[in-house]
Amino acid sequence: MGMQGDFLQLLKEQGYTLGTPTAVGTGHALTNATTILAFKYRDGVLVAGDRRATAGNMVMYDRTDKVLEIDRYSVMAIAGVPATAYEMVRVLEHSFKYYRRTQLQELSFDGKLRAISKLLKDNVPAALAGTGAVVPVFAGYDLEQGSAKIYFYDILGAEFEGVEYAVSGSGSPTIRGILHYLNTWGDQPLNQLPEEQAMVQALRLLTSAAEFDSATGGVNREASLYPVIKLITGAGVQTIPDATLKPLYESQVVRYV
Amino acid sequence: MYEEPYRWVEAVGNRRQYLDEQFKQGSPVVALTYEGGILLVTVSKGTPKLYEIYDRLALGGMGHPTDLEKLRFSLLEMAHVEGFNRSPSDVTGSRLVKYGIAPVIKQAFEEVYKAPFIVRILVAELGQKPEKDALLTINYDGTFEETTGCAVLAATPAAQTKMTAYLKEQTPATLSLEQALDLALRAWAIGSLAHQQEESDQRAETESSASGAGAAAAAIPNVDVLREHVRSIAGGRTLECAVLERQAPGTSKYRSLKPADLSRLLPKALQSVVAN
Repeated sequence: MGMQGDFLQLLKEQGYTLGTPTAVGTGHALTNATTILAFKYRDGVLVAGDRRATAGNMVMYDRTDKVLEIDRYSVMAIAGVPATAYEMVRVLEHSFKYYRRTQLQELSFDGKLRAISKLLKDNVPAALAGTGAVVPVFAGYDLEQGSAKIYFYDILGAEFEGVEYAVSGSGSPTIRGILHYLNTWGDQPLNQLPEEQAMVQALRLLTSAAEFDSATGGVNREASLYPVIKLITGAGVQTIPDATLKPLYESQVVRYV
Repeated sequence: MYEEPYRWVEAVGNRRQYLDEQFKQGSPVVALTYEGGILLVTVSKGTPKLYEIYDRLALGGMGHPTDLEKLRFSLLEMAHVEGFNRSPSDVTGSRLVKYGIAPVIKQAFEEVYKAPFIVRILVAELGQKPEKDALLTINYDGTFEETTGCAVLAATPAAQTKMTAYLKEQTPATLSLEQALDLALRAWAIGSLAHQQEESDQRAETESSASGAGAAAAAIPNVDVLREHVRSIAGGRTLECAVLERQAPGTSKYRSLKPADLSRLLPKALQSVVAN
């Protein structure tokens, strides 16, 4: 019933199903590889993602946005099959709004996490069939506790809290090690980085991922193509414009060796 | 016994009388477009009467809280399912009202064996452009009206006419939010005073059905009297104000005004209302 403010349930009553399992036919390369990352910095959490969508060894699109705002205080970064991931984001966006408007209060942060788990669980058959695997990173600002949080998931819907950082996608093994190194032996731990330094690190990390993973798009200055970087603080989600990233990239990321 | 057409007409007539009676204690609702969007104002007692329905849709209601809740839920369900299956821009107030709840309300009203909805509803829709702003009102019998500029809900048609006339007469070309709030509250006071007046007229009529009651159609009181009335009624209740703001960040344009906003926006004479 609508009294619980459960939008997914409402959709199901109307015959909706997420991700129907279909066996992958041969000759169809699915779009899936990517690099997304999230880490806590001084004022909140930074979430970043490259912009390349690939299918096999083909570049499908170079301007994908994989860091998607679900509401004013939460962001889901997606790795995996985009069709399913976008659909999930749409369901979540409507679920949170529907809950807020019917119940006249915000869905709690834990409630939001649970909603994502449930969607991933519903999606397991499609994920195992190979057509709908999604491995998201969820980051947000918990207003009640006044702190930023990061969670990452496996394709079955298990949720893990990434205390300092989380990564996902084909390029993630490269940068996971770097994040660990930076956080442990860097000049300062990640969660003390000021905003600008956090953005520089994100650009460097994605550039490194692109160096070793062909499915991750780095920065393409000729096309003025920069990764998507979003900052989530107590004031809400903020998307960093390319005009801010460009000088940072040119002054602190490019090495003319 | 309602099988005969005459009986049915009679039953529906009785129903109107019964329903009209139910709204007597109700608080009017005022919706007004201003330069930044649409403002909704009412004074509520206990249960809220203004709600967010969708990204660009707001609801105001009069009547029984449970009936209002039921209809609010059907509006929310329809809006969100449509917004998900098609797109948020396909969720329009006029579709929700005309094909959604108005037929339901009408059916309940005419099924004389069952209870009708004791509600009057106002749906405000913020258009992509100011010209597209729309206001819809639905009566307890399912009749709906679509207007622009301003719309009100009141206990009686007479009170409604007075309020609308006042709003139309006072509205300059563009209103700031402060001006709109002030004007909406004055219109609210006119409606509320009209309810009181009608009730006392009725009492006078039953007491002495002879003379005197005819003088009821008094002139519109001046601004101070109207503000004084708002102050006296809203003191013990909640002044509810909500806006659909065209420039609001993000997709959800609805925002209910907090006490801090109100004390900034209200005229001096009404500041005491916020403290409560």
